Amino acid sequence: MSVLFLALFGVSSVVFFGFTYWQATSYLNSSVDHWIARDSAAYLTAPGEIVQRLQLHAERDPDAWRPFGLFDASGRFIAGNLKSLPEKPTSVGHYFEYKLPRNGKDAPFRGVGYRMPNDDILILSYNVNEIYGFKHLLLDAMAWGGIMVFGVGIAGAIITGLGAVRQINGITGAVERIVTGNLAERLPTRRGAGDLDRLVYLVNGMLDDIERLMREVKGVTDDIAHDLRTPLTRLLGGLERARRRTTSADEYARAVDAAIAETKAVLGTFSALLRIAEVEDGARRAGFMRIDLGQIAADVVEFHAPVAEERGVSLSFDTDAPALTQMSGDPSLMFEAVSNLVDNAIKFSPMGGCVAVRTFSYKGRIGVTVSDNGPGIPADEREAVLRRFHRLEKSRHTAGSGLGLSLVAAVAKLHGLSLTIDSSYPGSCVTLEREQQGGQVPALPAPASAPPAQTGTRERAEGEPHAVSSGV
Amino acid sequence: MTRVLVVEDDAQTAAEIAAALGDHGFEVECAYTGQDALDRAVADRYSAIVLDRMLPGGIDGLTVLSTLRGLSVDAPVLILSALSAVDERVRGLRAGGDDYLTKPFESLELTARIEVLLRRRSVPDRETMLRIGDLEVDLLKREVKRGGKVIDLLPREYRLLEYLMRHPGQVITRTMLFEEVWSYRYDQRTNVIDVHMGKLRRKLDEGGLPSMIHTVRGSGYILRAPD
Repeated sequence: MSVLFLALFGVSSVVFFGFTYWQATSYLNSSVDHWIARDSAAYLTAPGEIVQRLQLHAERDPDAWRPFGLFDASGRFIAGNLKSLPEKPTSVGHYFEYKLPRNGKDAPFRGVGYRMPNDDILILSYNVNEIYGFKHLLLDAMAWGGIMVFGVGIAGAIITGLGAVRQINGITGAVERIVTGNLAERLPTRRGAGDLDRLVYLVNGMLDDIERLMREVKGVTDDIAHDLRTPLTRLLGGLERARRRTTSADEYARAVDAAIAETKAVLGTFSALLRIAEVEDGARRAGFMRIDLGQIAADVVEFHAPVAEERGVSLSFDTDAPALTQMSGDPSLMFEAVSNLVDNAIKFSPMGGCVAVRTFSYKGRIGVTVSDNGPGIPADEREAVLRRFHRLEKSRHTAGSGLGLSLVAAVAKLHGLSLTIDSSYPGSCVTLEREQQGGQVPALPAPASAPPAQTGTRERAEGEPHAVSSGV
Repeated sequence: MTRVLVVEDDAQTAAEIAAALGDHGFEVECAYTGQDALDRAVADRYSAIVLDRMLPGGIDGLTVLSTLRGLSVDAPVLILSALSAVDERVRGLRAGGDDYLTKPFESLELTARIEVLLRRRSVPDRETMLRIGDLEVDLLKREVKRGGKVIDLLPREYRLLEYLMRHPGQVITRTMLFEEVWSYRYDQRTNVIDVHMGKLRRKLDEGGLPSMIHTVRGSGYILRAPD
């Protein structure tokens, strides 16, 4: 590329220099031609006096700096200080140049020939030493200038070319390593704002996303191995045992019922997985309508009230005015998401615990919070907890598929809500929220009823984990 | 005899649906393409139609549906689909469908919903009083009495009871209860509804009265006068 640029630059320099040279010499030549033309007036207007005037001229200019000469039709000298016709064939009317030896060197002259009415030829010419000198000077200067420019150009081309080549080699090397499986690698960056650098930053960002997604997939397959294989293994075991042992129709019926229940559970898990994928796909945004987050949260609380009552957990609800909690969304998905959060909070609350649900519209942000004072989520599991099938280590044996929070995360993303898990000692606070008009995230005002107030800083769920949060 | 048309292009799925409906006591016929479905249904011999949305051959489920409605075939139609999005459901209902189920579904869900569709057409909506056995619901005063004694119910409990009272002797699944009483729709994975129903039953059966709400195969409820 730089070679091409260099060639272009070189060619245009040459053209420029050539043009300048040509213009300069033309001007100089035409100056001489004008002087000659002026001089010719004196001779051409008085043909009878030509010879005298030429003799006069020869006396004044014995060194023939301006060689004028009159010759007859056959070329014999008649008068003037130009003694013989110049070698060059004199086509009358055209300016020509010739050389005469002088002081051992050939001096250059420029002149023109006129044909007289009596067929004599009048030659008027000037010495053009200075012009030739100037031409040589100009050529010299241009030659040196050209060399310098060329040298600088080559150096510049080499430097930028090498730099670009090095960067591209670095990039291609990194890409090859990434393609062969080293996903943690990134393209080499430099402090620069050129196009290539911007591209590199973009690609590195893409690689960050890809690495995260692949990590999630790997994590999911680990969890799937346990959470789907287990019920299927139980199913198989139960059926085989029935085959081996049972004898009566009743026993077979019971075994079949148990197999049905187990199969339904597995199917349910798959359906939930597919639904999460469908939600994540964003296709369900087409079904969005105007919904009232406050009403939905109220419905969720009412729905779960009997369960909370049975477990001795107090469930409370608080909301800002309905006009403020409107948003665009899918009512069933939002209900399900909030319901999952409340279900988790109740499930993991101890007897006598508190779960508080609150919808808010505050300083341009709208959202819903579910807080409890249960055991919380350990710091190192805060991010993993949103993955499909993830179960907290200590809750691996409780009922549930581990998909609840994944669905909440997917629904949140679909609605443009951020999902935040905060710690409150003890317990946790899960918040779904988003901006309605933009603006800073305010500190959340404390809910009207227990549980205890949240701690200060709020983090995004994907960021650095904070301390304790509620169970899954 | 209740005759049901099953329109489903996958032969095995069609056979299973037909078997479930047949075991429930319906007479079942199957159509495997949209054209076949139209040919059969146009004679209007069916009490209900189970219609898969995705059909091969250029005539899809919704086209069949709107064509039948255009020809004044009024049999209730239950649409089956793999798509669960709300707008898909709305589109199906707007095309003239009466209910919508996403696959995979339980056979109890299918038969319960068809029964409700069938009954819906024949029971008038204008009653002010529902009475089953010694249980009375006054729809105007929103008052519930059993054996003459007033029972105090929460609003949702009242609506649950009203729904069951309107479909006595019919199986009502959890999803149907949730959809009717809470107006949201998704596949329940938790049994929160059972807790609501448990509370309702305790209130109705207070004083040792025989239970009128029974659980069916772990998936649904049925309200019957005590034997």
